[in-house]
Amino acid sequence: MRTDLGESLVEIVITVVIIGITVTALLSGLGSAAAAGNAHKVGVQADTAMRNYAEAVKSAVRGCREGQSWTPDFSPAAGFRVSMSPADTSCPSVKESRRLDLTVDSPTGTRQVLTIVVRTP
Amino acid sequence: MAIGFMVLIGAIAAGLSTLVMSSNFNRVTLDIVRDRQYAADGAIEEAITAVRMLDRSGKGSCEVAAGSSTSELNELRIRVDWENVCGVVRTAVGDLVAQRNVVFSACQDTGDVCRDDEVIVRAQVNFEQAETGEVTRTWVQSWSVL
Repeated sequence: MRTDLGESLVEIVITVVIIGITVTALLSGLGSAAAAGNAHKVGVQADTAMRNYAEAVKSAVRGCREGQSWTPDFSPAAGFRVSMSPADTSCPSVKESRRLDLTVDSPTGTRQVLTIVVRTP
Repeated sequence: MAIGFMVLIGAIAAGLSTLVMSSNFNRVTLDIVRDRQYAADGAIEEAITAVRMLDRSGKGSCEVAAGSSTSELNELRIRVDWENVCGVVRTAVGDLVAQRNVVFSACQDTGDVCRDDEVIVRAQVNFEQAETGEVTRTWVQSWSVL
């Protein structure tokens, strides 16, 4: 026997609205996850840049003699900027070790700072 | 069916939030490890400079001696314990000469001597000396990040 039972327009509209809200929430969640993944990637790249920069600075200082100056053999990846404080590139005396604050600025605006100690052998 | 739908959405949302949180956690952990390693590295460099300047007639000689120092780097307080482990080597002309070697162990400062399982960096350094006792150069013989 055929019946005329079915969904009313209101029920269908409510269903569509619920599905719409859910899909929107899921998409925004996926967007957040993608953004977090990208931030993580940039952070790892900045960490790599920092380690390489630190090793380049230490190596440059190790190879210099008192009275000379040193230059680290390092170029950061595109979009990253590195700097050092104090910006004194004269070779330290063998009687002293020098603290340097290294900074890496990433394209997303985040900044990492690391203090290292250098000395000449 | 409605319950299944809700469970599915909840699972996806939980998965996404876990992904984001673990990603951030791993990033922070990497930074902490890096800062710790470079703090230990720097503390040993400072300790080497300090040991280099010791008077040759005292701890700066090849007598059995030890000492410690602390450095604050990357917001960490690092302790460095060092001890003389001098050796004797024969020169090209057959003379026996003492070789001044020092082992440095860096760990996070707990107010006590660095235990083996706490050591972050351990290094053995040779101090090359002139007849006058002045150190002319240091040679890193081993540098282990543990």
